[in-house]
Amino acid sequence: MQSRRQFLALGASCVWSFNTGDAVGAVPAAPINFGLTPVLLTNDLELLTKLKAYLSRKTGREVQLVQRRTYEEITGLLLTGQLDGAWICGYPFAQFREQLSLIAVPVWRGKPLYQSYLIAPKGRAATSIDDLRGDIHAFSDPNSNSGYLVTASLLAEKKLRPDQFFRQVIFTYGHRNVVRAVASGLAQSGSVDGYVWEVMTTIEPELTNKTEIVRVSELLGFPPVACLKSRRESEGVRLLHRALVEMAKDDEGRHVLNLLKLDGFADEPESVFDTITAKMMLIRSLGS
Amino acid sequence: MTHAIAAGRLNPATWPLSVKVPLLVAVLMFAVSAVITNRVLARLQDNQEQHLQQLASAYLDGLSASLIPSVFREDVWEVFDALDRSRERYKGLNVRWTIVTNAEGKILAASDPTKFPSDTLAEETTLEHFVEGKEAILDEAKATAFLVRSLPYQGREIGKIYAEADIGLLLQERSDVFRTLSLTNLLLTVLLAIVGYLAVLRMIRPVRIMSLHLDQASQGKIELIPDSIVMRQSSEFRRLFGRYNVLSQAVNEREFLASQLAEEEKVASLGRLASGMAHEINNPLGGMFNALDALKKHGTREQVRGTSIRLLEHGLTGIRDLVRSTLASYRADPRPRDLTFADLDDLRLLVKPEAKNKKLRLEWKNEIEKAVHLPAVPVRDAVLNLLLNACTSSKEEGKVKFHARVESGILIADVSDQGNGLPAHIQEYLERDGAGSVPLDKRSGLGLWIVKRLCDEMNGKLTVVMSGASGTTIRLTVRPKTVELVHAA
Repeated sequence: MQSRRQFLALGASCVWSFNTGDAVGAVPAAPINFGLTPVLLTNDLELLTKLKAYLSRKTGREVQLVQRRTYEEITGLLLTGQLDGAWICGYPFAQFREQLSLIAVPVWRGKPLYQSYLIAPKGRAATSIDDLRGDIHAFSDPNSNSGYLVTASLLAEKKLRPDQFFRQVIFTYGHRNVVRAVASGLAQSGSVDGYVWEVMTTIEPELTNKTEIVRVSELLGFPPVACLKSRRESEGVRLLHRALVEMAKDDEGRHVLNLLKLDGFADEPESVFDTITAKMMLIRSLGS
Repeated sequence: MTHAIAAGRLNPATWPLSVKVPLLVAVLMFAVSAVITNRVLARLQDNQEQHLQQLASAYLDGLSASLIPSVFREDVWEVFDALDRSRERYKGLNVRWTIVTNAEGKILAASDPTKFPSDTLAEETTLEHFVEGKEAILDEAKATAFLVRSLPYQGREIGKIYAEADIGLLLQERSDVFRTLSLTNLLLTVLLAIVGYLAVLRMIRPVRIMSLHLDQASQGKIELIPDSIVMRQSSEFRRLFGRYNVLSQAVNEREFLASQLAEEEKVASLGRLASGMAHEINNPLGGMFNALDALKKHGTREQVRGTSIRLLEHGLTGIRDLVRSTLASYRADPRPRDLTFADLDDLRLLVKPEAKNKKLRLEWKNEIEKAVHLPAVPVRDAVLNLLLNACTSSKEEGKVKFHARVESGILIADVSDQGNGLPAHIQEYLERDGAGSVPLDKRSGLGLWIVKRLCDEMNGKLTVVMSGASGTTIRLTVRPKTVELVHAA
């Protein structure tokens, strides 16, 4: 793995050297550390390989993709400056909005927006969250917007916490895992990223076919790529920003976008995440 | 009789070698194959159980290592995820389901959550097959292996793994091996039995040849085994056939000599008969010549003439009867005729000279009333020889008795003498079926052999009714031939 990384780093630096015309023998630039949360279909090795290759080529720097099991870990790394940028969820962005800045927001079906789905096993015949009372409910991550916050805020409107409404809540630390938990019957319902569920219907229909949507949330800001505000003008972030917003114009980039089923990345105002911030505030007010 | 034959067939000791040996080979092969099959299956079973134990241990080791932290945290998803992933990793074990419980026995997660929901107590019926302290239990009747492993953490049990694996494939494999082995062994057994049968058939062929020749010999026809057959045999049978041929030649020569001897005896008998006849004719001749002299000298006297003529007539009648009887006995008769009263009654005249010589008294009882459908000449010869033998055996001034009768169409002729009785070997010879094909022995006369041979030819039977110091009674029984009886009817 190490040798492969070295090879890629060497390859990336060579490409950069060729593009910029730097003299041979110059000290190679530090790699860009790019964090990924489980919002992505992280089990797809091909996607990771292609994304890394694209970003490395496009930025001219070696790009290290950093993955952790939870959102909290990635957010922690980002906030402590160990990452140049990270693809995080809207909820952590709302939580640390004052310290974070947007690099780019993914565009899906023409908008920088997505929805959260409440799902249940196929044939459950549930039509609202009230039908899910007393379930074993699968959340994605306590710091996920679609995989926790949306459902928690819905219950907060009823002055309830998830552990009061559901018999038991489980965290699967991945939207795909929420679908697995519901499809297998481990959980009787789950909160999942609508974008992930929709993508899975084309990639793994055998899993999503065992589930059905109970409720669709309003449109919310798509999980953004963010960085520390203090680094917004750094070289690494600047290169990352360019690579992301120009992805749709590049063949390799389009291939990556096709794997992600996204239209591209765009510069969007922070107000896109106001709805999420409002939900967060609602929960905080309830103390859940 | 039928039961006795059936019982004989059921007795393996009476079965032919060509059946017994292949059968023995088949039985032995079957026994060997049964033992081998049993050993192979036992070994296979051991290996399978060992393999299953190892696989089960590996499965439980792998699971417990990854599960302990999650079980300790009671992390339902992590437990389920570990179980779900292990399904692919341990495909060889064919696990039907796995349950992980916490210390209180509540299900944390199961590989099949719909069947075993989380946060419920595992049912007693589900866990009743698992035994504490026994990690793997194989239940062949249910084609299932029950696996259980305790999950310890810092010296405390924090949960348990229960798993049920389908061992149907293992049992199927064992059953396939059993079927293949059995079929192969059966085919081999049948093949070896056929080979054994053919080999034994080939090996005992000389015995059958010998048996065939001995059968023919017992029917009076002793034939040598041709050299071409003798030379084809192995050294043992070549030697045996050679000895048989030497023996057969000796028997044939002996029979030839015996028949010559019989001819000579016949001639001698004829001589004796001729001299007897001459004697019988000579006796009246003296009286007749006397009568002739009396006629010559005193023929004019009425009384002398009458007496002389009566004497002449009496003497001539005696001579005529003797000649007639002899003619009846020795006339070459091309067509067999039925036995009549006269045929047997005439014998008295033929025996008379012999009886007279020994001053014997003849007690004659002939109860045959009408012709019997039996060949007259051989019956007469046989009875004549019996009578002559009785005369020879009887002491001087003794008594020879003859009694002939027909009972239910069967001729019975008893001849008794007052001799010293018959030796045992002669008695056995007379009563043994088919013994007439060879002469009796050197010590005995040919008379009884001739009787026995004639008796055999007529399918008759000789019985020694009584034999002792006071004398012997021999009975000749001749049954008319069935075909002829039917024809006659």
